[in-house]
Amino acid sequence: MKRLAAIRRGFAETSEGVQIAVENLIGARLRSFLTTLGIVIGVMTVITIVAIIQGLDKSFQSQIANLGAHTLYVSKWAWFTNGRDAWWELRNRKDMGKRELEAIERQASLAIAVAPMGMIESDLKRDDLEAPNVQIIGTNAQYLATGAGSVAAGRFLVETDVDLTRNSVVLGADVADRLFPGFDLEQVLNRKVQVNGKVFQVVGVMERRGQMLGMNMDSNAVVPYTAFLRDFGGKRSMNIAVSSDPDNLSSLEDELVEILRRVRKVPAEKKDDFSLNRQEQFLRTYKQLTGSLYGVAVGVGLITLIVGGIGIMNIMLVSVTERTREIGVRRALGARRSTILLQFLVESSLVAAVGGAIGTGIGLGAAQVIALATPLAATVNGSAIALGIGFSAIVGLVFGIWPAWRAARLDPVEALRHE
Amino acid sequence: MSTSAKHLIVVDRLHRHYEVGGEVVRALDGVSFSIAQGEWVGIIGQSGSGKSTLMNVLGCLDTPSSGTYRLNGSDVRGLSDDELADLRNKEIGFVFQTFQLLPRATALGNVMLPLVYRGVPKRLRRAQAEAALASVGLTNRMHHRPNELSGGQRQRVAIARALVGSPSILLADEPTGNLDSATGEEIIRLFQELHRKGHTIVLVTHEPKLAARCPRAIRLMDGHVVSDGPGLQLVPNSVQAVPA
Repeated sequence: MKRLAAIRRGFAETSEGVQIAVENLIGARLRSFLTTLGIVIGVMTVITIVAIIQGLDKSFQSQIANLGAHTLYVSKWAWFTNGRDAWWELRNRKDMGKRELEAIERQASLAIAVAPMGMIESDLKRDDLEAPNVQIIGTNAQYLATGAGSVAAGRFLVETDVDLTRNSVVLGADVADRLFPGFDLEQVLNRKVQVNGKVFQVVGVMERRGQMLGMNMDSNAVVPYTAFLRDFGGKRSMNIAVSSDPDNLSSLEDELVEILRRVRKVPAEKKDDFSLNRQEQFLRTYKQLTGSLYGVAVGVGLITLIVGGIGIMNIMLVSVTERTREIGVRRALGARRSTILLQFLVESSLVAAVGGAIGTGIGLGAAQVIALATPLAATVNGSAIALGIGFSAIVGLVFGIWPAWRAARLDPVEALRHE
Repeated sequence: MSTSAKHLIVVDRLHRHYEVGGEVVRALDGVSFSIAQGEWVGIIGQSGSGKSTLMNVLGCLDTPSSGTYRLNGSDVRGLSDDELADLRNKEIGFVFQTFQLLPRATALGNVMLPLVYRGVPKRLRRAQAEAALASVGLTNRMHHRPNELSGGQRQRVAIARALVGSPSILLADEPTGNLDSATGEEIIRLFQELHRKGHTIVLVTHEPKLAARCPRAIRLMDGHVVSDGPGLQLVPNSVQAVPA
């Protein structure tokens, strides 16, 4: 019974505390706003920064999706190296070529697609129309299965293109636009173009893919790698894209290391002289970068929230002094110290939480403006919003403790006499 | 006054000493009396007589330095701050000279306040507060804020607030001090009515005229009780007021 009474009392006091806090907040709107301005600015800053970072994340992830998620890119080059020495070491590695490709094709049991990727930058021409700086990719029929897009018209390369070293080419969307302006895609098929001076027949046009990390993924032309080796130099080192089921990716990695060490005759005591690159590495490097950005955002946020919290503490102390008589009356009517403490804590948390909510609103607005004005898709997820408001409330609570404690410690007799 | 069981207030050799600037001030210096259920007692004295200190002790806002104070059977000495707060809430209805209403709350909100600290559910709180306001004749002023009420109305709200929790005693500190004489008279009539209904009233004042209206008056001077008897005795015959 006693416990029930205590719960009832606690409930009544809390709801009363909230009501008083709301009344005071609304009763002195300007002052409440100024009180919580620090919090507003702090939360707004953090929400905006987080929105930008999350926007970056999204666009980065959609761009990185152009690399197959379940694909290992076998190369003599590593995507990420540290320093100049590493670069020299990579440069001196043996080139990657047909032998490695054939070994992988024959021996990699977990591979579901294996595609060589010879690359060179060159021009494509048709009559007097020209597409400059096109990425020419020499590959095979399995290229698309490694996550390299899809065909919009016609067909992709088939095995016979490779086996017979046919002069077949699949154009990237931008290249097709350049060489065949105003054409229906179907009309482009079977036409002849010059690739680095050699005549090739268009068998298909790729679906548009957009940008990846500043690289135009539509300014390319895909040819059989046999033709690539013949016409654009067999001495170039090529990359080999190898895909597996998502679950098997790391087993595939082990398998490839074994195959490549054998075929490249790497002595047991030596390091690998090749790299297995994957999409994940991009993500990891990217996350390191944004991680430090997040750190800055959190740091800025913390500092402004502390400043904001001090602002709240200051006003709450003033408020306690102003309301000394009220505190005395409440104590005379039976409010315990804890009741007074609770009331002021509710008030400081509420004022801070409202500030947090306003800051979040402004931050989200800023994010919208950024999303409209820049290519960044600035977005914020719900947890950031909840965190912004919740954290503000905690700041209000923490910085409200001292004023609330002072209020609770007031002597009722003195407080009632206070002018 | 034979049995103490009927005595709501029993004060025995009560002392309250302060130290001010190294000097001990004996605000109460051995005060003893008791007040029975249903009595209306005036406590009168000049400023500095100790009457405010006595009121604070009787109201459980302050604790005695020595001596005993029993309120409705329980010894106040040794109670924790929380227990004192609960005791005030349950046993005492304060009426102050300056009304001490919360300015932002309506009359109803002010009257409901003691019930909040008792954990009375909102609906019941409201009903009881409305009844208390009705009993002081303010049914049509319930939703007004203090600054929309006259002085007399404010004091009525304060009295309703004091009554709402059905306390053992009403403790009034100069309840007419901030009112003009006509309004003060109204408030005194209200106290008389409450007294007739059986409420126990302790009224602290420095005005002999007001104390004379109390059936019993205790006069304090320098922390001592100097007289205790019918209120009329306090007033010289020449200015004797006729009780209503």
